[in-house]
Amino acid sequence: MLTTILTSAAVMLVLGVIFSVLLIEANRRLAVEVDPREAEVTVALPGANCGGCGFASCSAYAKAVATGRADVNRCSVGGPPVAERLAALMGVAAGVTFPFRPVIHCSATADQRLQHGDYRGEATCSAAHVTGGVQGCTYGCLGFGDCVGSCEYDAMVLVDGLPRIDYEQCVGCGVCVRACPRRIIEQIPFKAEQMLVVGCANHDPGKVVRSVCRVGCIGCSLCARTEPQLFSIEDNLAVIDYDHVTGHEDLHAVHAKCPMESLVYFGKPESHHEEQLVGVATSEIADRPAPVEHGLDWRG
Amino acid sequence: MTDLILIAISAAIVNNVVLTYFLGVCPFLGVSRRLDMAFGMGTAVTFVVTIAGTLTFITHCYVLLPLDLAFLQYIVFIFVIAGTVQLVEMVVRKFQPALYEAFGVFLPMITTNCAILGTCLFVWLKGYDTLLKAVVFSFFNGVGFTLAIVIMAGLREDLTFADVPKPLRGAPITLFVAAILAMAFMGFAGIGTAQ
Repeated sequence: MLTTILTSAAVMLVLGVIFSVLLIEANRRLAVEVDPREAEVTVALPGANCGGCGFASCSAYAKAVATGRADVNRCSVGGPPVAERLAALMGVAAGVTFPFRPVIHCSATADQRLQHGDYRGEATCSAAHVTGGVQGCTYGCLGFGDCVGSCEYDAMVLVDGLPRIDYEQCVGCGVCVRACPRRIIEQIPFKAEQMLVVGCANHDPGKVVRSVCRVGCIGCSLCARTEPQLFSIEDNLAVIDYDHVTGHEDLHAVHAKCPMESLVYFGKPESHHEEQLVGVATSEIADRPAPVEHGLDWRG
Repeated sequence: MTDLILIAISAAIVNNVVLTYFLGVCPFLGVSRRLDMAFGMGTAVTFVVTIAGTLTFITHCYVLLPLDLAFLQYIVFIFVIAGTVQLVEMVVRKFQPALYEAFGVFLPMITTNCAILGTCLFVWLKGYDTLLKAVVFSFFNGVGFTLAIVIMAGLREDLTFADVPKPLRGAPITLFVAAILAMAFMGFAGIGTAQ
């Protein structure tokens, strides 16, 4: 018995050594010269393989960068530091890059949404979106947390029927953007720690919006009149032109003026106006409470 | 000589490894979208299976059997196949970079291609006792695989122009085609001794 085990082990060992030697030798003789920059770029990338850059994997993106087929600033996980490193490796100008992070164009918590229907279908946003009738607003967040479930970085949590993003965890891979059946999650360039966002996606006229939501944008254009370069009204909805946002302007005046409180700040929490940050990672989120049991109970 | 011809025909056509034994169906469906890629895959499998068949025969005959370790057959065979695939990968990467790109994940996947392990084991199950027989059998199993996958790729290329009912588009119609192809190959059954 023991001899059998020992001979088996010895045979496997000898075979292993023979194959290793063979393969090492073959690897040396048949070595293919890879562009050394490709390897360097691969190392410089975070290796999250999230697909946020539009390539299947970090190595595919590295290859594209090394051959000059892709820009150096596509990696949203790495952000500016990685873009700078890639630019240095490739000898091109990095340009100004900002991390793209998701924001949610709906700021209505469960009790701020009106006209609740008695929805008894499958408790996912995609199902509720198809059937409708969960709530009056046909544009806003459904609150079943498809985005929360899709997040692979533990950066989203459902509070009061509205997903909150923990920007310390978020890498900007954009999975939640694709997960949302209502298409209300958008990746915007975070030019400052906190970005002002229109927390509404409802294109209906103001009267209709008021009937379905307590905080929806009624298209009153007060923001557009205060800051005409940044705000505009498209189809009864305020839109912020992030190309013109520099990140240094003080938009608290506009934020305070919004009669519906549809303008909300997203970003990392900051002590002096924490109460304004609907979307920020609050202390509640840091403590990771049990996610709201999304079902029928909170809809009344 | 007659023996070898019989083995060849039996391996390549009558007992086709894909269409009769349903081994290696994964690359058969995965890489049969384009004719040139299918042929490349077939060539790679033929190459690997011939080398693997030869090496496993030698290992089995001159290492495992004398040491009375026949029970190590499976693990040693997988070992040998994995090594061979590594070697083939290096060769293809060196001399056929385009083919290497086209193979993508399927080349390393030959490692776990059951057609290859199946062939190596069949050499023993069918009792081929000389190295020449084993080599011929392995090689023509690879040829049979190539034949099947190339026919499949040709059919699928034509299929793109066919008006397939909506629910059957994609994988379902491919499986139907494979099934009909397998039935067509049943027509060869019984030719030769079909060991």
